[in-house]
Amino acid sequence: MNHRPFEDWLLDDKLLKPEEDRELQLHLQACRHCAALWEANLALRSAKSFAPAPGFTVRFQARLAAQRVRQRRSQVIGGLLLVLAGLGLVVWLTGPYLLEFFSSPAAWITTWVGALLGILEAMRALGEAGSVLFRVIPGLIPPFAWMVLISGSAGLGLLWSVSLWRFTRVTRGA
Amino acid sequence: MNEEQAWVIRAQRGDQDAFTMLVETYQKPVYNLCYRMLGEPEAAEDAAQETFLRAFQHLARYDTGRSFATWLLSIAAHYCIDRLRRRKLNVFSIDEDEESDYELPDASALNPEHESVRREERDHLHRLLSSLEATDRAAIVLRYWHDYSEQEIADTLSLTVSAVKSRLHRARRALGSLWERSTPQPRAERKRYESPAF
Repeated sequence: MNHRPFEDWLLDDKLLKPEEDRELQLHLQACRHCAALWEANLALRSAKSFAPAPGFTVRFQARLAAQRVRQRRSQVIGGLLLVLAGLGLVVWLTGPYLLEFFSSPAAWITTWVGALLGILEAMRALGEAGSVLFRVIPGLIPPFAWMVLISGSAGLGLLWSVSLWRFTRVTRGA
Repeated sequence: MNEEQAWVIRAQRGDQDAFTMLVETYQKPVYNLCYRMLGEPEAAEDAAQETFLRAFQHLARYDTGRSFATWLLSIAAHYCIDRLRRRKLNVFSIDEDEESDYELPDASALNPEHESVRREERDHLHRLLSSLEATDRAAIVLRYWHDYSEQEIADTLSLTVSAVKSRLHRARRALGSLWERSTPQPRAERKRYESPAF
């Protein structure tokens, strides 16, 4: 038998039948390349396992405790930085208004009350316009248009729900 | 449910004692994988500790339907592969490091000669392993020291079974070539009418 099958057996670590094993042993005596493959395999198989130095678990517990302290410290520092940054942002954004308020409080209050009243007035006007439209529009739209509108909305809603379900579904074994 | 699964579930609920039991149980295989990957006791200890820390932090993500050992060794293997790649980027040579850390035989050992031979064998094996690419090395370590099947190696290293087969095949070929080069040549055969003195 030529060299190739023996090399393949060794490279694939094939489980050999007794007669194949005998043939391989004969080949190993003649082929240095296959003998090297076989010896390297044997060396790996017979190598012992290493164990850590005694006290590994105790060292792990100490490391875990130290890491927790580090995490807590970084959380505290992170929280403080966040609060300081938030305060800085608030001061930066409200600074001009605060300065204006402290320089002339009466004028500032008058301006803001005026603006607030303006907003309230605008909201009331919008509400009135909306209620008029709400009363007038249904009479202008024919019943079949309502049916098309409602069916279309229902269809879109269904499509949206199916898409959500498809995209959020957890695929097993992915 | 076996004892190990019970520890895992308790540890997932935050029971540190249960996780300590898991550390006790798996410290040896995890350390051995790290040692065979990195080749130095200190680096192996550090990598094994880091593996358990990462496992503890990400325990909620562990799927109890999978083997815990495979999940744990997967963390260790990926961590070591990452470290080896970083070492490579830092132009770090394991062989150079080994030379600088050369150990003399332990004179207090019962049989210093035997101890020296054992150390030589260990170093030889390490030199063989260090010649392999990081993922190939992990596949070899899992196959020979942990008796993992190709499927288990694939699960551990996030590879396909055919990729594992090809990596093992390539790694064995590389190890065989290195073994051939590192072992002395057999004596040349004597020619038919040659004197045995020559």
